[in-house]
Amino acid sequence: MKSLENILTDDHFKLLAFLITSARGCVDEPILYGPLRLVDAASRLIDIMEKEGKANEQILKLQELIEEKKDLVMYDEEAFVNFLDELSRELAKIIKEERK
Amino acid sequence: MEIFEAIRGRRSIRKFEDKDIPMQDLKKILEAGVWAPSGSNIQPWEFILVKNKGTIEKIKLISPGLFGNPSALIILCINHERAKRGGKLGVKTALMDISMAAQNMMLTAYALGIGSCPVVSFNKLALKELLDVPDHVEPVLIISVGYPKFMPKPPKRRPLKEVVHIEKFGEHFNR
Repeated sequence: MKSLENILTDDHFKLLAFLITSARGCVDEPILYGPLRLVDAASRLIDIMEKEGKANEQILKLQELIEEKKDLVMYDEEAFVNFLDELSRELAKIIKEERK
Repeated sequence: MEIFEAIRGRRSIRKFEDKDIPMQDLKKILEAGVWAPSGSNIQPWEFILVKNKGTIEKIKLISPGLFGNPSALIILCINHERAKRGGKLGVKTALMDISMAAQNMMLTAYALGIGSCPVVSFNKLALKELLDVPDHVEPVLIISVGYPKFMPKPPKRRPLKEVVHIEKFGEHFNR
């Protein structure tokens, strides 16, 4: 069991805290902040995957795309939704190319 | 710095240099907040300055909208004991007062070469617990501050001829 001091710097715990506080925040925040929090969480998850040696180049490119475009939610809603479509397409390519 | 230059130039900064802000500059930013207009001069605000890196990290854990590694946080709160002197409008007026204080702070920061970002996406209950905030005080806004890593491009603004109504609603500037 990790000590409290360690748990505060633990990447899984950080993601856990982000998910819980985002869940509460989404009750009151603009609708598109829900998708924003989810893709932000996805990016944080990729950070963890990279540290654990589980993220390949294609997955890291998903993260690049998220970090490059997530702020669109504040400036251009339509472009933000298009970015979510783009992200979904890129994810599908990864799934499709993976051997069974 | 000329005031309009600061108003036009300020951006919300979400990536910061790893560099501390001198306390004298932080005090100047806070002082700018204290000099904001306030309905009935109630001054319903409390400002909590957080510089401790460990505390900032804890606040980041419960603040989904807080990005980057700011050097300090200013937490702007409504003091409800003071706000109720404003009657039924007390809380709404307090929010306006605090918004004006926040803008004073962010413009002053910009004039000092310091970036800032207003953040409302944080968990109030968790923040109150973390910082021992009493029941009658409600955190409503976090301003993250630090030296900018880069300045974002200006976002689109609705033009004056759309936003401004001359003499009565619906009459706009011709050009």
